[in-house]
Amino acid sequence: MKMKEEKIINFMINDMPVKAKEGTSVLRAALDNGIYIPHFCYDKRLEVYGGCRLCLVDIKGGRKLVTSCTTAVQEGMEVYTETPKVISARKTVLELLLVHHPLDCPVCDKAGECQLQDLAFKYGASEGRFSAQRKKDPERLDAPVVQRNTNRCILCGKCVKVCYEHQGVGAIELIGRGFKTKVSPAFEETLNCEFCGQCIDACPVGALNSSYYRHVSRAWYLKDHDMPCPYCGCGCITTLSMRDGKIVRAKGVEGKGQNDGNLCSRGRYGFDFISSPQRLTKPLMRKDSLYSNNIVSSEGSTCNDNPFIETSWDEALDFIAKKMSQIASEHGHEKIGAIGSQRCTTEDNFMLQKFIKESIGSSNVDSAALFGYEKASRSFESVFGQRLRHISWDAPLSADFMLVVESDITSLLPVWGLKFLESKRKGSRLVVADAKKTKLSRHSSSWLRITPGSGTALINGMINVLIREELYNKSAAEDVAGFIELRSSLKEFTPDVAAKASGVTADEIVNLAREYASAKERIIAITACASENTKSSSLFVAAANMAMLMGDGPESLQVPAEHSNTLSMIASGVQAGVNGKNAYEMLYQSNTLRALYIVGEDPLVMMPDTTAVENNLKSLDFLVVQDIFMTDTAKMADVVLPAAAWAEKEGHFISATGNVQKLEKICSSPGEAKPDWEVFSMLIKKMDSRAGLMSFSDVSMEAQLKASSFMARLERSKGRPGFIPVELTIAEEPDSQYPFRLVTSTILQHSGSFSMLSKNLDAIASEPYIQINSADASRLSINPDAFIEISSRRGSAVAKAVVSDEVPEGTLFAPVHFSSARINALTYAAVDGRVPLAAVKITKI
Amino acid sequence: MSGKIFIRVCMGPAGIAAGGKAVLDEFNKTLSDKNMPADISSRCIHNQVGCMGLCSKDVLVDVEINGCKSTYEHVKPEMVKQIVDDHIVAGAPVKQWLADEPLKKFLDKQEKVVLSDCGVIDPEDIEAYISRGGYSSSKKIITSMKPEQLIHEIKLSGLRGRGGAGFPTGLKWEIARKSEGQIKYIICNADEGDPGAFMDRAIIEGNPHLIIEGMIIGAYAIGSNKGYVYIRAEYPLAVQRLENAIKQSRAKGYLGSNIFGADMSFDIEIKLGAGAFVCGEETALIASIEGQRGMPRAKPPFPVHKGLWGKPTVINNAETLANIPYINRKGADWFSMLGTEESKGTKVFALTGKIRNSGLIEVPMGITLREIIYDIGGGLEPGKHLKAVQTGGPSGGCIPAEMLDISVDYESLAKAGCIVGSGGMIVLANDDCMVNIARYFLNFTQSESCGKCVPCRIGTKRMLEILDRITKGLGEPGDIEKLEKLGNDIRLGSLCGLGQTAPNPVLSTLKYFRDEYEAHIFDKKCPAGVCNALLTFSIIESSCKGCQACAKACPSGAITGDKKKPHFIDQKLCIKCGACFDVCRFKSVQKF
Repeated sequence: MKMKEEKIINFMINDMPVKAKEGTSVLRAALDNGIYIPHFCYDKRLEVYGGCRLCLVDIKGGRKLVTSCTTAVQEGMEVYTETPKVISARKTVLELLLVHHPLDCPVCDKAGECQLQDLAFKYGASEGRFSAQRKKDPERLDAPVVQRNTNRCILCGKCVKVCYEHQGVGAIELIGRGFKTKVSPAFEETLNCEFCGQCIDACPVGALNSSYYRHVSRAWYLKDHDMPCPYCGCGCITTLSMRDGKIVRAKGVEGKGQNDGNLCSRGRYGFDFISSPQRLTKPLMRKDSLYSNNIVSSEGSTCNDNPFIETSWDEALDFIAKKMSQIASEHGHEKIGAIGSQRCTTEDNFMLQKFIKESIGSSNVDSAALFGYEKASRSFESVFGQRLRHISWDAPLSADFMLVVESDITSLLPVWGLKFLESKRKGSRLVVADAKKTKLSRHSSSWLRITPGSGTALINGMINVLIREELYNKSAAEDVAGFIELRSSLKEFTPDVAAKASGVTADEIVNLAREYASAKERIIAITACASENTKSSSLFVAAANMAMLMGDGPESLQVPAEHSNTLSMIASGVQAGVNGKNAYEMLYQSNTLRALYIVGEDPLVMMPDTTAVENNLKSLDFLVVQDIFMTDTAKMADVVLPAAAWAEKEGHFISATGNVQKLEKICSSPGEAKPDWEVFSMLIKKMDSRAGLMSFSDVSMEAQLKASSFMARLERSKGRPGFIPVELTIAEEPDSQYPFRLVTSTILQHSGSFSMLSKNLDAIASEPYIQINSADASRLSINPDAFIEISSRRGSAVAKAVVSDEVPEGTLFAPVHFSSARINALTYAAVDGRVPLAAVKITKI
Repeated sequence: MSGKIFIRVCMGPAGIAAGGKAVLDEFNKTLSDKNMPADISSRCIHNQVGCMGLCSKDVLVDVEINGCKSTYEHVKPEMVKQIVDDHIVAGAPVKQWLADEPLKKFLDKQEKVVLSDCGVIDPEDIEAYISRGGYSSSKKIITSMKPEQLIHEIKLSGLRGRGGAGFPTGLKWEIARKSEGQIKYIICNADEGDPGAFMDRAIIEGNPHLIIEGMIIGAYAIGSNKGYVYIRAEYPLAVQRLENAIKQSRAKGYLGSNIFGADMSFDIEIKLGAGAFVCGEETALIASIEGQRGMPRAKPPFPVHKGLWGKPTVINNAETLANIPYINRKGADWFSMLGTEESKGTKVFALTGKIRNSGLIEVPMGITLREIIYDIGGGLEPGKHLKAVQTGGPSGGCIPAEMLDISVDYESLAKAGCIVGSGGMIVLANDDCMVNIARYFLNFTQSESCGKCVPCRIGTKRMLEILDRITKGLGEPGDIEKLEKLGNDIRLGSLCGLGQTAPNPVLSTLKYFRDEYEAHIFDKKCPAGVCNALLTFSIIESSCKGCQACAKACPSGAITGDKKKPHFIDQKLCIKCGACFDVCRFKSVQKF
């Protein structure tokens, strides 16, 4: 929706002329102009509440004091924020709050950053005119990560509203009334929510706190650092509080980053993975490979089960350099490859590809993005003639119609997902086509529960309607190459045919197409994550076809990059070049490689069809894994190198929105762990003694230059656009033997396999599970929480059954993060346009 | 003699409580007795009616023969036979049971408009309502009048909201009509929660169709086709009668699509309140209907612009809506002749307290308090003299006896620091403690505060704590000033009407009865003899019969004395519970 030209209102605050847009509240206008009016319940994200009565102001000519949060600015208005009358009223409010507020500031984690404390200080001590019945509710420490102390609560209601209105959850509510009112989940049960922790940052006092921060530090000893979050592509700025060289807290701060104070559970709680005891601290070498290379004699070795021995960096790197040179000379440079990481910095990835391309002389560098963002980007390029643009943070807000296809955005890019909810709240239409019930589908204007993986059919059906009813943009589309082919390919793909393929009704498809066509500003949003198996390149091609058919630009397709540095990893050169092998060829096709160098990636857990990966890794002569902890993949390696993690090294990330964000080194890395870029700098020197060691600033400059020139090329490059007819093909349809579809994805509280290191996140979601529809569960007599084993033609996994109608009948859903139940043992790897859905059966209950 | 004989048994809440059902059954039985002369039983129409007003004399029974009406008071089933034999068969009323004189005085100064059919017609029979002219005005309006004309008419009548604030109804409708939007709602607020008030209840129980017709007319005026009646779940009889009336109206085609055959659709849904006083506040009421927690929100936007589900919504009090059909039937001029310059029409009050004729009254605006209490109410209970009149329930205040000649209208009461409110009127006598009364009302608002805004949630709690202390003899110098300061801060600082008016009972009693507060605080005395903690109980030796009842009742063993000899209270042991005072049959326990 395009905003109307807004009228500017001129008025006065404390005799100072102020301008504000029409409809702005006096409080907002004052804050925007640097005039502080005390408030507890106001939050710019929320509908005004008007409950705390602290923002009272005097308006000249007014009968009584008014709350500035509920009063809109008016031309010529004269507002006074600190008159004796106002101060008196404010003091009364504070006095009333303080008279029963437990003055347990000495043990309150909020002390020092508590707004009540600050305001009490500002407006003078309470006179203590009243006797006080205090509240004596027990503290609630029963929920993971969030702890509540209702006695300290001043009932500003912000937590309730941020949860319900903004976050779209509604896990807590005001219960009881009058003086007995308190914030609690229904029936005072244990809090069970998505644990975003937004309520904690919203709380102006110490009523809501993070469990991990309980009695950890006084606020005045903390030093805050703003850093981009290490998890998804949102690139949120999280404010990390440091004490004694350790991160003790993460919070969102209004006005910082495009997230503007919002964080999800990963961003707010997941920072502690870096302090996990499972972190690697020393380079490790596999004993077997040392024996076979005659570096160490097998004789005299102790009977130790540990297949690795600790070694020094020098030894380890010498060994790697020697093996790489040997393999290159014996089998050819092209037999060596590397897998980069979407979570490592631009500098790290740049140095990896430099090492592989320049020191080894191979072009085989790629990453797991092949199964995610790269798949989408290249599909998009094939139609639009240019690669995917980065997403726009506010794209949902400027759209009046949003179509989300098979994408759980609020789980994958949670904070960007909030923009969809916000846009819907402000009146836009949100249509969600998804088999699984998600937060977006719950909040949608309309939810089409399509068959898993059938997004392509749905869009093709829509295209059929758009063409048949001549709703498309003729002048823009008909001259584009491939239009005739597209039209004829979908001529028979009527809504009835599409309905059959996608599991919704023909009317729904027709209506959706008409609604899509009649919208003024429309976007299609699709996530592209390697762990999702309901999408193939066809879906992105189909979506691009449809957007181009309407004459919409590339920005109408919003596909976010998955991880914190996916975009920059690609930009810095970690992507399969013309001559190089891609990740699929390296990891799934036998005999492609002899040696592989994997950085910050765990293909054995996070990539599809792990059995195939495992076999391929086993056949290698030499495997190096460089990571922050002993991943399943690292366990197979000949050399394991300990890497410094986020916050332990300098560098840069590029978020899904294209923001280049700087990372600081604020912690020291454990043991001898080193930044990835430094490891490669050392390796390059080992391979060629003439090369000098590079400093961080050299590396960074070169890396950034490469990344930025790549990004700039993306913007400029414009190939010939052309429609590409595609059709829906599914790799493996359920049959009588394997009757279930297995849908996999990422869940809100985790990201990849490394978030398992976070104690906080582990407290929220620690176990693998398999979601099954209640009808299927009762048919098969599966009780909730029973362990079940599921198998596909490739492998099997055991996990707890979660009976939930979030999944449709005939479909199982499982998150892929948990290495204890390796769900990816069952999945299908397909890079050929087929939807990689797997057919599975339940083998044991 | 061939005219109809009407027998009407009061089955309002008080009538039912006094045994109205048994009386009606007895009439049924007696009149259907086979010995009954056939010409009598065939002419007899006996039925239940809604509240007849004089609740303190229930069960009331009207017998009307050839237009000549007699009313019996305190009727019991065993009296029915004689009434039938003497009055109905023989034509001679049973004089000693008639309520003639006090009833005449009770009714004389009243002006019944909204209650004119209440207590006359059978509330469960739509035909009875129609026979009195019901639904004639709505039909006329919908089939022949423009909404703007109708609104003009209501504006001319000068009708103001009867819920308490007194906002002009015609103006409210006009704003709602002009408010942008296709969908609009009309809500009847029947969430009558004031302690001691039962006006809306009596109207809905006595004449439910009046509300429905008022809503139909209002809906036509603003262009709404959906109405809600938000009514307390604690009013099961009113709900049942309203449901029945809505059903009957639908069957007649007065509700539903194309009502009265015109191009208008309108239907009414009943929403039961869940027992929160604050849901009488319109934004909280809307939240409650929407299924949200019943909490008020800041205004503007006002409901007429953005109300139920964000659509323009008119919320009228039940009594306001009940006035509408009469205004349309009899004309705006007729209505505006009633009442004062600024406050037109009549007002229904629930007259209770230490008064002889307690019950439901309807008086023209501008009547004096003296007329209400001494003429209509018949004066105070024997031996008591007037101290004050509390109006407006927990949001209102007290008018002292010296101001008895005050005109009862919106402006005059407001000037006295009081409000008309929804219509509770409690008569307080010399034995009522004003501090305790203030404490009572504050206790009510305090526990009914929704908890959203600080002044109301905590301020009322702290005021109550002070009042509690004062009535327990623990008052301190400075308490009065604290109450005044805090009361004013709550009034100015609260979000909604509940909080803004919650201190009124305290502030108005402080204004007129400051000496009583001072007596409590400084002299540790309760002049009215109500606050036990401030009293000294003692036994009058001369009249004590030594029955030992007080000694047995005393929970602290403070009373000693031999049988048939005067007893004695040990003041050190006395916990001032008042049990001895309550049990003594000889009035030998005194408190002062």
